Amino acid sequence: MSNATQPDRGGLADPPGPLAVQAQGIWKVFNEGQSGEVTALQDVNLSVDSGEFVSLIGPSGCGKSTLLRVIADLTDATRGEMLVAGVTPHEARQKQLYGMAFQQAALFDWRTVRKNVELPLELMGWGKDKRKQRSMELLDMVQLADFAEHRPWQLSGGMQQRVAIARSLAVDPPLLLMDEPFGALDEMTRERMQNELLRIRRETGKSIIFVTHSIPEAVYLSDRVVVMSPRPGRITDIVPIPLGDARDEDTRESEDFFHSVTAVREALRGHVGGASTRARVGEV
Amino acid sequence: MSDRLKFIWPPILIGVLVLAAWQAVVVVQDIQPYLLPAPSLIAENFFGDLSLMWNTGLYTATTAFLGLVLGSILGVAMAFLAQRFIVVNNLVTPLAAGLAAVPIIALTPILNNMFSITSRTPRVLVTMIIVFFPMLVNVIRGLVQVQPVQLELMRSMNAKPRTVLRVLRVPNAIPFFFTGLKIAAPLSVIAALVAEYFGGPQEGLGSRIASSAANTAYGRAWAYVVAAIITGLVFYLVTVALERWTTPWADRSRSA
Amino acid sequence: MSSTASLERPRRSSGVGRRLRNGAVSLLWALAGIAIAVLMWELVKWLGTVVSLPLNTSDMTMPHVWTMVSAMGEPEVRGSDTTVLQAVMSATFRSLLLAAGGFVIGAGVGLLLAVIMQRFLFMERGLLPFVIASQTVPLIALAPLIVGIGNRISIGPVQWNTTYSVMFIAAYLAFFPVSVGALRGLQAPSATALELMRSYGATPGQMTRKLRFPASIPYLVPALKVSAAAAVVGTVVAEISTGVRGGIGRLLIEYARQITSQPSKVYVAVFGALAMGLLVAALVAALDVYLTRHLPKEKSA
Repeated sequence: MSNATQPDRGGLADPPGPLAVQAQGIWKVFNEGQSGEVTALQDVNLSVDSGEFVSLIGPSGCGKSTLLRVIADLTDATRGEMLVAGVTPHEARQKQLYGMAFQQAALFDWRTVRKNVELPLELMGWGKDKRKQRSMELLDMVQLADFAEHRPWQLSGGMQQRVAIARSLAVDPPLLLMDEPFGALDEMTRERMQNELLRIRRETGKSIIFVTHSIPEAVYLSDRVVVMSPRPGRITDIVPIPLGDARDEDTRESEDFFHSVTAVREALRGHVGGASTRARVGEV
Repeated sequence: MSDRLKFIWPPILIGVLVLAAWQAVVVVQDIQPYLLPAPSLIAENFFGDLSLMWNTGLYTATTAFLGLVLGSILGVAMAFLAQRFIVVNNLVTPLAAGLAAVPIIALTPILNNMFSITSRTPRVLVTMIIVFFPMLVNVIRGLVQVQPVQLELMRSMNAKPRTVLRVLRVPNAIPFFFTGLKIAAPLSVIAALVAEYFGGPQEGLGSRIASSAANTAYGRAWAYVVAAIITGLVFYLVTVALERWTTPWADRSRSA
Repeated sequence: MSSTASLERPRRSSGVGRRLRNGAVSLLWALAGIAIAVLMWELVKWLGTVVSLPLNTSDMTMPHVWTMVSAMGEPEVRGSDTTVLQAVMSATFRSLLLAAGGFVIGAGVGLLLAVIMQRFLFMERGLLPFVIASQTVPLIALAPLIVGIGNRISIGPVQWNTTYSVMFIAAYLAFFPVSVGALRGLQAPSATALELMRSYGATPGQMTRKLRFPASIPYLVPALKVSAAAAVVGTVVAEISTGVRGGIGRLLIEYARQITSQPSKVYVAVFGALAMGLLVAALVAALDVYLTRHLPKEKSA
């Protein structure tokens, strides 16, 4: 059983603290032993460092969303071991060590924008004043402070997602899990949101695991891109992205960006035919 | 404001036209009141004895209201149980579907027998049973039909089932509650009215309509009918107003 | 690979077999419900003998269940050949026919109104408020008067009688759910689908036939269910309000009056009315399964 190797961090010191995620030999099988048996995840091994941005990319059915949900303790792994921020996924969820954002913003219509952001704080028993202070801080961070008393339907799709991201940051978790949060947005808004996300990450230093369909998005945002493949769902490649920490609009047009996009694309393509010319799980 | 107007004037126009045509037909064809009274005759009977109309209407309305409140409370309570315990849901949902076509009002003579026929109780009870089912079905739907992504969100926030109920299911169910109430409120008036046909105190609209018709006081009978229509409309409009007041968000986001 | 084959197999449409099985399960629950009701009845009666309850539990007012059953076999009227059960069954059947007639007429009118309202926006704006208001109005209040009017008019060679009045009332109650549901269904197609049809040069008539009608089925079917239920209840209630002969409503009133001398008869009549409703509910559920057999699971009522 092989372990994921450490990425080339371009000379930066190794990050302190526990790994954000450590997955070893994760399997997820639906309807095991029955006629409709589906192997959504096969022998997944992955380590995510504290402070790292890792994307999961692959075609439908490759298991990327399933893997995210195993990390989030929204579903159980059939086999294997998983540590999230140093503890089991169940404990991580109970201690609110991660925040999650989905493709739909899933804001509650009957709450104002601010009250939506306060939701996780309410569930943790914070007092009213503390909640208000924190939620306004967060709305400030996503630049929606002026819309605090608005209702979700009054906001555009991009704005709603920003509120959802603010909400996921509410309890200041060390880890963010994001399942194609920009998938329903148009390209221009998407790129703006990607910059927002990078800025938030710079300001907060959080680890982020990001599921996406989009190669440029994965490359632009991540330190490493985890390429997955379906039937059965498994990691087929991990592509390091040596674009450095200071990324901006110019990065999108740079040669390094283009090379990385090509690398990811070839990694994705390399396994359609079945035979893999590149690395097996864990190798770079 | 002018945007609202374009919704208001067509029905008003049609309503006025119909009334005018009605009056004209009765006068021109010289139709007798026992066939079809003119709107003018009805108005005369109605406004001529307004306090009688009011008291009669109030009597039936009170029965309806009591049945509505009790049936709603019961329906909502059972809906909570059905959401929490799947066994209750499996028992109750097919029952509600099966009883939809059943004329529950037929129970009135039995209830008249079991409880005192001279009191309101049997009528309130039958109204309560009739109101129970639409409230039950709609509130269950509201508690259960939350989006899967919302449930995932709640789980990711480590919310206990009771919290999910309080924070997600109940607010989600409120528009559905009102959908049910908009059906149940006019229904309660009809139930209270029809229950009066099985005997008992004769002070309500149902009894009075029947007795006026039997006594060939057709103008008065129609006047009572107008009172019944007004009662039903009031119940409905109050429900709509209550809905608008408590759920300002429901208009825009979804039609429950 | 066997593990992948299931992903690629197309979904079976709606699973008629599964839904019929669900229906059978519902039936079993219904029977269980009846059994429970019987038990509760006897329990309350027994309880009434030991503690004082706010209701009358004597054998006169609350006959035992077996007394009710045996009453079915007794002659309806002293010296008559027909048993109570026969009288109730024939009355129920007659009411059922009226309800069916009312349902067909009401549903037909409702559909027609829906098509008109969908086609002409003015009609929708002008008529829909009345359509809705018509249901907040207790038409049943008008029932005795409708019968009064009806008895005095004749359409052509046909003398209007109370039967038609009852059917009219049932139709009135049946048309609303269908018109609202059908309207919503006819308006259901997305803008994209409409644009597609227009790009083919489809006439409004073709749009209605080939796009709107098929698209409206998932909305129409639950509406038909509600409408059938309304027709049944409306028929019985109209019969009660008007005292028209031949139907179950009349029997309910008559037997209710005889409650001091023959307490069990009214219960048999009540069972007849309940059975009528249950039968219609079952028929409509079967119709639902049939009409939506090819639709994906989520779309059925």
